Amino acid sequence: MQQQGARENILHGIDSGTETISGKPVSLTKTKTAEKHITLAVNKTAGKPVSKLNRFKSKSFRENLIGYGFISPWLIGFFLLTAGPLLFSLVVSFSDYNITSEMTFTGLDNYKKMFTADDLFWTSLWNTVYFVLFSVPMTTAGAIFIAVLLNSKIKGMKIFRTIYYLPAVLSGVAVYFLWMQLLSPGTGLVNLVLSWVGIEGPAWLFDPNWTKPALIFMKLWSVGGGMLLYLASLQGVSTTLYEAADLDGANIFQKFFHITLPMITPIIFFDIITSTIGAFQIFQEAYVMSKDGDGGPAHSLLFYNLHMWNNAFEVFDMGYASAMAWVLFIIIMILTIFNLKFGKRWVHYEGGDNK
Amino acid sequence: MKMKKKKKKKLSILLSAIMLISLILSGCSGQNSSGSAADSNGKVTLKFWSFWGSETRRPVIEKMIDDYNKSQDKVVVKHTFVPWGDIWTKNLAAVAAGNPADVVVTDINDVSHRAKNNQSTDLSKYFDDNMKDRFYPHLWDTVLYDGKPYAAPFNTDTRLLYYNKKAFKEAGLDPNKPPQTWKELEEYAKKLDVKKGSSYERIGFYPLWGGYGAPSWMRNADEGKNFFDGDKLSINTPAKAEALTWLADWKKRYGKKTIEKWDAEFANGQTNPFVAEKVAMYTDTGTFYTQIRDSGKELDFGVAPIPAYKEGARNWSDGGGFVLEVPKGSKHPKEAAEFIKYLTDVKAQKYWAVKNYDNVANKEAAESVAEGMKGQEKMVYSESLKNLKDTQLAPIPINYPDFMSRINPQIDAVMLGKSDAKAALKKAEADVKKIKRK
Amino acid sequence: MKAAAETPKFYQTMKFRRRIKNSIILFFLLAGSIALLTPLWWMISTSLKSPEEIAQFPPTFIPEKFHFSNYVEAWTTGPFTRWALNSVFLAVVGTIGSVFVNSLVAYGFAKMKFKGCNFWFIVVLSTMLLPGFVTMVPQYMLFSKLGWINTYLPLLVPSFLGSAFFIFLLRQFMMTIPNEFIEAAIMDGAGHLKIWWHIMLPLTKPALITVAIFSFNGSWNDLLGPLLYLNEESLYTIQLGLQTFKGSVQTQWNYLMAMSVMILLPTVLIFFLFQKFFIEGSNISSGTKG
Repeated sequence: MQQQGARENILHGIDSGTETISGKPVSLTKTKTAEKHITLAVNKTAGKPVSKLNRFKSKSFRENLIGYGFISPWLIGFFLLTAGPLLFSLVVSFSDYNITSEMTFTGLDNYKKMFTADDLFWTSLWNTVYFVLFSVPMTTAGAIFIAVLLNSKIKGMKIFRTIYYLPAVLSGVAVYFLWMQLLSPGTGLVNLVLSWVGIEGPAWLFDPNWTKPALIFMKLWSVGGGMLLYLASLQGVSTTLYEAADLDGANIFQKFFHITLPMITPIIFFDIITSTIGAFQIFQEAYVMSKDGDGGPAHSLLFYNLHMWNNAFEVFDMGYASAMAWVLFIIIMILTIFNLKFGKRWVHYEGGDNK
Repeated sequence: MKMKKKKKKKLSILLSAIMLISLILSGCSGQNSSGSAADSNGKVTLKFWSFWGSETRRPVIEKMIDDYNKSQDKVVVKHTFVPWGDIWTKNLAAVAAGNPADVVVTDINDVSHRAKNNQSTDLSKYFDDNMKDRFYPHLWDTVLYDGKPYAAPFNTDTRLLYYNKKAFKEAGLDPNKPPQTWKELEEYAKKLDVKKGSSYERIGFYPLWGGYGAPSWMRNADEGKNFFDGDKLSINTPAKAEALTWLADWKKRYGKKTIEKWDAEFANGQTNPFVAEKVAMYTDTGTFYTQIRDSGKELDFGVAPIPAYKEGARNWSDGGGFVLEVPKGSKHPKEAAEFIKYLTDVKAQKYWAVKNYDNVANKEAAESVAEGMKGQEKMVYSESLKNLKDTQLAPIPINYPDFMSRINPQIDAVMLGKSDAKAALKKAEADVKKIKRK
Repeated sequence: MKAAAETPKFYQTMKFRRRIKNSIILFFLLAGSIALLTPLWWMISTSLKSPEEIAQFPPTFIPEKFHFSNYVEAWTTGPFTRWALNSVFLAVVGTIGSVFVNSLVAYGFAKMKFKGCNFWFIVVLSTMLLPGFVTMVPQYMLFSKLGWINTYLPLLVPSFLGSAFFIFLLRQFMMTIPNEFIEAAIMDGAGHLKIWWHIMLPLTKPALITVAIFSFNGSWNDLLGPLLYLNEESLYTIQLGLQTFKGSVQTQWNYLMAMSVMILLPTVLIFFLFQKFFIEGSNISSGTKG
């Protein structure tokens, strides 16, 4: 019932949307007449003999051309700026390359070393997977929760939204030093609050068991970016839907799970994929938080990208670093493809099954 | 159809206009001065990158450059501030692209690492034989790779033991008799501790706070021997294991909780435990004096060499420093070398040393500076000059550039009480062996 | 609850329930705000302290004396006005490019059927997967070959050629716009470009504003790009200027924090102002109300 309501609403919305558009010099017919037009159009094309010689004018060719036209800026950028360095790093991953001398082809040596000789590779992979497993679900859930709260119509919400967004724009090393202060076991605020509820907080950044939770905690603090995404997508969920549900006596949770959540699945999908990619590539936090970027204490903060960075820019073994990068590429690629396939089951596109 | 085309055109015009404007604007402000061409006066422009951009350092280096530019009419040096740390990433990318600066400030400990990897220029052609006489020998030795200089030392530092004289008096210790050996250090520390209930008000000494880390203490114990004896590993030695056990014992004595709490308290670098008088003895470089001076507190303190492992052993200390390097691919290596000679000559070095209160690499300049100083300033400076004879650098071994990444976790394991020193160093040595570079 | 809904005073109960709900939300938001603002307070408080007070132990939560002059002093230690203007220029131009180009490309992927469409979309996503460190040096070499080093081109041109993150984001939003709408427009003889401009852009306003905010902040806070590609201090950005307070020996914490606060202000301001369009200009629901 709710689904149908949503559909109706959107159609209704389109009508009013067209009205604003038709205020401009372009004329557009209302959707209600769309069906008629489609039949007309079908008749038209059917009636017209398509010349085989003139295939450049054929509909599908034109559509392809327009499609490529739309994505052409990205294609140009890809071929001109991105593809070259990408391929370069792939080639480098099969060679011994120190960035400033000629590279020598070494076949699979770098990859062999990674899986057999470099124990820190496994340490860094494990640390990173740990971080991804906890931070992605927590930040996603946190961002949705806050976005829903911030979407309520209460006075002063503008200020709240700004406050919640603030940490996401705070950047730079200053932030990390602030966190060191907050997470300090003696005078830090975090442990002070914990002590109010009778918990003795850990030494966070100085106890190898607690360094990663500390970093996840920091990530949660700057959940404002994700919150903004959900806030934007919540604008697409009609208020009348909720009003209808209210009339049905639905409670908050029912409304959330049956209306809100399905409507924002495309963005949840986006958020999960991109934050997984982001979490796998965590670097800056660990680099600053562990002194000299060595990933200490006891390598508990040696994340994949940090290990890669050290290999590339401390050891100057860019060949090995590139091989590491491509292994990470494959890991995330598999996860992303899995997400894309699995996503079809739960992501609900209001726009219809376009693809 | 027509209208659509028009619209499309309009749009593409709009977009390309935005593009064009941005291109022009950026083109205007960016004078593409990357080429090697001399400027209109026939002068060569030398690009000099440093991380000296702070309010205190920048005027000093820029005055030195200004003097140089005025002193001759062939070369104009252009200084660019590049942030600390990132400067080397940028340098690497620029060298790779064949478009680097002509002179860049880099870390002394990895000069040969960079030289081996073809990132810097052999300067033996441009330096004459008496160039090496300018510098402290341990600094000059570190800039050599294959017997040839790949940089010139600029400034340096050395670790000293700072101690709070007021605290010494309170504890009944002679403020003019700092600890000489590790044993004395322990005795003094115990006397200097101030405990209130179960927590410490003041800690006498904790060896891992300050500028002298676990690897330094291990070398101090092992007759100054580094982790590498030439190409041979000397990580797992009895003396080093003993030093590591000694360090772990300090932590045991104060308690894991106390140390972790204090660690975190002072980790952000805003406050210093010695300046705050929470720690009575502390290791740091000579320039640490400026931090005490600028704190606005009238701290009564003394400086001494790092205590020796045993009576009769030397007071080994650690040092570092920065060098001037000509990146590989510089278009004007000869002019760059001339400029480096100027910056490391007595006059410029003296100016730098006085204005920044820094230890400089030029021996004559360093020694003449102390004469013009007085009070605490002079005390710290002369002590650090004396200390240079026992100071060692820790150049990165070219075959094991990331060896510390295998030693650090083992040190951590011992400090966390998860492993004993011998087993840990054995594991560290085995791990380091595995990462030898071809 | 259900019983309450059936009583005659239904409306009143609803209102009452809403009030309770709002109070709970308000409580949560307030508690969260305090947690979020404390780190910020440390930043502001440090920015107002004297260097001597910063060095004090234990640190003071509220400055003993407010040194507002830190802000002026920090700003005048270098050509910060110039650097700020450079940053504004880069951020504004980059944002304009980013919003238009990414939405154009996203439209292609979301609403057009062409051969290889899915393949290219996977390629778009895959450009996000490789860590930037390993492409950083070859990218630099490429820009160097093009003669773009020490110009703004490496920082601006990519914004006009689309970014995977934004393309993906806008595609997701566009997928939620009903197809009937586009079909109708096509029947009316509108081309895709016209549909993009007149239908898609207005309907995805919240998403576009999100992209604008993200891309403004991205370029405003970018350190690595300007650091690598600019060799002349007159071209530097404010983030590079901020680094002058961080030295190898000592950090000027009061200036560093004062400048960080000042750098934060424009991004906060932009968010605060854009919110208006964000909520008022929302697509479908506002249409319903209107």
